[in-house]
Amino acid sequence: MNEILWYTSRATGIVSIVLLTYVVVAGVIISGRRRPHGASPTILMALHRWIALGMSVFLLLHITTAIAETYVNINWISFVVPFTSGYAPFQVGLGTLAFDLMIAVLVTSYLRHRIPERRWKGVHWLAYGLWPIAVIHGFTLGTSNEWVLRLITLACGVVGLLAIAWRINARHHDRRRRDVILEQEWS
Amino acid sequence: MTSTSPQLTGVRLLDALDASGLTGRGGAAFPSAVKLRAMTKRHTAVIVNACDGELGAVKDGWVVANHLDELLHGADLVRGLARGAVTFAAHRGSGTERRLRSAGVDVLDAPSRYVSSEESSLISLSQGGLARPMTKRSLYIQGGRDSTGRRIAPTIVLNAETVWRIAQIAERGPEWFRRFGTASEPGPRLASVGGYVGRPVVVETQAGVPVGELLAAARTPADAEYVLVNGLGGAFASIAGVSSAAWSREGLAPFGGRLGPGIIDVVDPRRCPLDMVTELLAYAAGESAGQCGPCMFGVPELSGLWQQYVRTPSARHRRALDINLGLLPGRGGCKFPDGVAGLAVNALAVFADHITEHAAGRCRYAARRTA
Repeated sequence: MNEILWYTSRATGIVSIVLLTYVVVAGVIISGRRRPHGASPTILMALHRWIALGMSVFLLLHITTAIAETYVNINWISFVVPFTSGYAPFQVGLGTLAFDLMIAVLVTSYLRHRIPERRWKGVHWLAYGLWPIAVIHGFTLGTSNEWVLRLITLACGVVGLLAIAWRINARHHDRRRRDVILEQEWS
Repeated sequence: MTSTSPQLTGVRLLDALDASGLTGRGGAAFPSAVKLRAMTKRHTAVIVNACDGELGAVKDGWVVANHLDELLHGADLVRGLARGAVTFAAHRGSGTERRLRSAGVDVLDAPSRYVSSEESSLISLSQGGLARPMTKRSLYIQGGRDSTGRRIAPTIVLNAETVWRIAQIAERGPEWFRRFGTASEPGPRLASVGGYVGRPVVVETQAGVPVGELLAAARTPADAEYVLVNGLGGAFASIAGVSSAAWSREGLAPFGGRLGPGIIDVVDPRRCPLDMVTELLAYAAGESAGQCGPCMFGVPELSGLWQQYVRTPSARHRRALDINLGLLPGRGGCKFPDGVAGLAVNALAVFADHITEHAAGRCRYAARRTA
């Protein structure tokens, strides 16, 4: 039983990081796209949302099984309170921290139509914090010494960073025009 | 004050303004009493707008230059109702700004550009923001937030002529006021008449007078052909057609005009009017505040398409222009694109025969210049 829990925890962890990376990359593309055309933005947005929801199922399973199995000592309080784990308190704590930030992002997204857009956006920016934390958590804690799993996490990190680099350099023609006009005398 | 009659203040002033039928003289013609009543519910800052922001407008500067005492008195009356600070807005570096400063009043110097003297631009500027229009998600007379979430304190913007009229009504009463103008547009009002005229003037007049009378007051030469009523958001009309029309909502409606901020600009008959519209649209394109797509992309596009069409008036160029004109109105945060598109639509109709000339490769104005 314990072994099943342990394997499940490893597996759902790696699936979570892959899905999370997909969600982040999709979000980055959505926010940085220059000229959305046709159905693609709708499809991309739907995937961003539904895969985020799907990922949360794997994540909950990952956390629950990690605490339930008894090879290492992680308390239930570590589910939400970071850096309280008996085992690898820092690395496990990173995972908890990412989870907490993710709860904030998910909750505000489900309430998006009820809260000011700028609040939602402010909280959504946390994604840029939680994703690298999650990747570091996965990479440094890779307890199964399986190079394939490490490699997958590493690949996730590379793909995500590439997407963010693209986002930083992607300039809306809209933004450019705004900036040009903003340089005129307005005050 | 030399008047022996008691000054109207407070609630009695509001009632008098109601009875007078005074409307905002900045162009929107909103009932002043309604606006001031809304303002009395909370402490409200007051901005008296003397920017003369529309092209060709000079009347608010004229009020400052000629009736400063009454204007300041009117501002005091409004302050009594608003219970907030009063600021006078004027374009930076203008004579109006200098006059207001030497009168010792609090001056808000706005950048000398088109959209900066718009109501919400001035409110934004007065509260430390940029002089760019804000989205009116709520009435700023009640306070609210701008699009970035910055808190905006309750503020009212009143046109300088309006404030001057308030002082006059407080002193002379609503019956005096109603003796001028028409039943639906009562009261004395100012008109700025300029452009191709012998003597640019601010005329103290009233709704219902023939437009020709206003043109005569500015000594408009006989060879003038067209007027532009109310600047960038206005309409063109031929002098032959409009001079016998009444200067009122009903009289100007057939021409697509209205009293607005009271501007009549006589078009130079030695120049091609289509070229002049090209210049107006190019100016408009450069005045976008860069906040909404229809304005920052649509208006420059209109400017380009117009230029292309009047140079070569083909059916294809007309279609492209019409598509743009159909897309501009009703989409921006403020009415700037609507006004500019309206001007272009109006110019297409008024100068239709001249566009035909251009299509045939001729321009009688170019011939006139070389003659």
